[in-house]
Amino acid sequence: MDRVGGWKDGVVLAVVLPALVLLGGCRLEDRETRPDPPVAQALGQVALMPNGIGGSPPEVYAALGRPYRESAFHLSQGKRLYEWFGCQACHADGQGGSGPSLIDGWWNYGPDLPTLYTTIHDGRPGGMPAFRDRMTRDQIWQLAAYVQAMGAYTGSLAAPGRSDRPQTRPAENRLPAASAPLR
Amino acid sequence: MSARIQDDQRDTDLADAPLDAALRRVWDTPRGVWGALATVDHKVIGRRYIATAFVFLAFGGVLALLMRWQLARPESRVLTPDLYNQIFTVHGTSMMFLFAVPVMEAMAVYLVPLMVGTRNIAFPRLNAFSYWMYLVGGILLWGAFLVDMGPDIGWFAYVPLAGPQYGAGKRVDIWAQMITFTEISALAVAVEIVVTVLKQRAPGMSLDRIPLFVWAMLVTSFIIIMAMPAVMVASTALILDRLVGTHFFNPAEGGDVLLWQHLFWFFGHPEVYIIFLPAVGMISSILPTFVRRPIFGYLPLVLAMVSVGILSFGLWVHHMFTTGLPRLGESFFTASSMAIALPSGIQIFCWLATIWYGRPVYRTPFLFILAFFFTFIMGGMTGVMVASVPLDTQLHDSYFVVAHFHYVLVGGAVFPLLGGVYYWFPKFTGRMMSERVGKWVAGLLFAAFNFTFFPMHVLGLLGMPRRVYTYQLDMGWGGLNLFVSLSAVVLAAGFLLFFYDAVRSARHGEPAGDNPWGAATLEWATASPPPSYNFARLPVVRSANPLWEDDGVLPVAGGLRVDRRELLVTTVGGALPEARESSPRPTIWPLWSALATTALLLGSILTPWAVVWGAVPVTIALIGWFWPGGRKEEES
Repeated sequence: MDRVGGWKDGVVLAVVLPALVLLGGCRLEDRETRPDPPVAQALGQVALMPNGIGGSPPEVYAALGRPYRESAFHLSQGKRLYEWFGCQACHADGQGGSGPSLIDGWWNYGPDLPTLYTTIHDGRPGGMPAFRDRMTRDQIWQLAAYVQAMGAYTGSLAAPGRSDRPQTRPAENRLPAASAPLR
Repeated sequence: MSARIQDDQRDTDLADAPLDAALRRVWDTPRGVWGALATVDHKVIGRRYIATAFVFLAFGGVLALLMRWQLARPESRVLTPDLYNQIFTVHGTSMMFLFAVPVMEAMAVYLVPLMVGTRNIAFPRLNAFSYWMYLVGGILLWGAFLVDMGPDIGWFAYVPLAGPQYGAGKRVDIWAQMITFTEISALAVAVEIVVTVLKQRAPGMSLDRIPLFVWAMLVTSFIIIMAMPAVMVASTALILDRLVGTHFFNPAEGGDVLLWQHLFWFFGHPEVYIIFLPAVGMISSILPTFVRRPIFGYLPLVLAMVSVGILSFGLWVHHMFTTGLPRLGESFFTASSMAIALPSGIQIFCWLATIWYGRPVYRTPFLFILAFFFTFIMGGMTGVMVASVPLDTQLHDSYFVVAHFHYVLVGGAVFPLLGGVYYWFPKFTGRMMSERVGKWVAGLLFAAFNFTFFPMHVLGLLGMPRRVYTYQLDMGWGGLNLFVSLSAVVLAAGFLLFFYDAVRSARHGEPAGDNPWGAATLEWATASPPPSYNFARLPVVRSANPLWEDDGVLPVAGGLRVDRRELLVTTVGGALPEARESSPRPTIWPLWSALATTALLLGSILTPWAVVWGAVPVTIALIGWFWPGGRKEEES
């Protein structure tokens, strides 16, 4: 008991400390509540095909590690924005109303994120309003990711939580839309 | 003379030296890695527990410093809001669940068997299991924090913030599961202590001769056994809500968000006394040594501890005064909150009388007790303030509350604990801590603590809410906050000095004899550090201060076997010898059981099926744990 430590302590420290530092480098649930202004600026640079369907996300999106679709935090922020900005007025809880359904597997303009981003940002003919003056760019990405997750065919590890209100359709964190009963 | 140990050899027939050799053969923990992992010696496990808890204290302290760095100036950008949320949550969770409760139980794991004069704690394998569970729980919380997955919901995790709708990701699940780990370990230790105290006391240690620290731990353990199930239900319901879509806390489906607060605080308020009562016991045990007289009012002190224990279950609603409960209920809980000041006051006056009639010796442990008096009474006074509904409505969730509970917890528990560490350190290590450094530590901590936390009362009255990551320049809180932050650095320096002293003294401190302070209780009747079997011959107790009577000569009890681990079971009331009882040998199975349980609990964060498949290895490990091995200890 007297000779505790010595070189063994040193070895343990030499292994444990760098391991901790490396571990600290991992960012499993990074939550940027407000991106830096240059990043926010760059998030708007979506390169869309001329017909307005399909395209590539901004370069910064990859640089950030494709956060929006894979982070439960961004998805649940998107879910809150979905309610706060009145999406339910036309799309209900995804089932659609005066606007198209978001969970029936049919996308008027395609299900990729840049398209969804542009749809929300610029609006679409037929009643979809533009939100570019009402929401920040990263909020639009969060909302787009949520809408995409809502109608996805495949399950994902990241999902927004279930709402604390009566459910009108299967919760987002249960099954992919394709295998869920509609209405 | 080198008598071979035959079957059924009794200690009465052996001289001291062969007895020591024989006892070492059966009680010593084997050397090497296996021995370290398999040990069931309450002293080894207690030491580990204490050291681990202090590591978590240091980690939590670093987080506190980070928060103070962020708050030192208005509109500071040292930490992001999200990181700040994680930091205050992990700080609070770590301090409450990984430091305060475990460290008190750890002191008891080490000291209670020695103080009641037995050879090991009851259920030693459960004790080993509880340490591993505690360690894993701590690693879980801090590992998650390191990868940015630390919980960010505050240490009491109110729903709906912690519920499925707002608590995105796995952060809350990690918090709730960490609670499960610490619950299991705390409950295990509580059961061990209750049984040790009630059934393993030295012959003659009737209820009115039990050292007050042991009384305190007995009451504390009963509180743990009755309070922890509430938070167990709560955290399990939270996990179920989040994982499998139950609706315990969802009002839309018939659940109730206030249910969380009731369940949590039904545990959370007794928790305060789970932390404070051991400190009461430490003070009551340390004080007589340094004023050189028996404690004043043994009976009132015991009754006060028991009534605090009972009353602590009737106060929880005072944490919820601003949730809109009916007025009548609030009045009741105001009254009960103020009522608990009565037994606390009795304790204080008993101690004051002890000092008054004694001849104080101003050594470091005594200084910490003096620091306790001032600080804890301050905290108690602000406690009476926030117990009144109108004032609480104003002060709720402000820095006043932060100041209040730090005064109570640091003043009421950490100061006595540090005094206890200085006091029992020679027993733990065989070496004294430095008296000179100790006086600096006590002085620095006391002054810096008050400089750090007193201004927070004022900040709270000025309206600064708790848990804000920053504040605006024109709020006018900048000056006080800067002062608080600077004082926090001094406070940290005090703790650093304490850690330095402890580490240095463990190797180079002055050797201490068996009883360096001239104390009266049984733990000082054996060597420092005690041998693996604690007492070569079990002591017999004839008064509440056995080492101060009869010139310190203890009568002993004999007749125990020395060819297997054996201890004495006595009656609950009068501690009359009842039976010889075997005590288990080291085994690796508690570790395997803890690892299997860990796999189950961690897996259940990801999928409910982990409970099903994880039960298989747990079952196997438990079967291994209880499988008979044909050892002498298993004879009836």
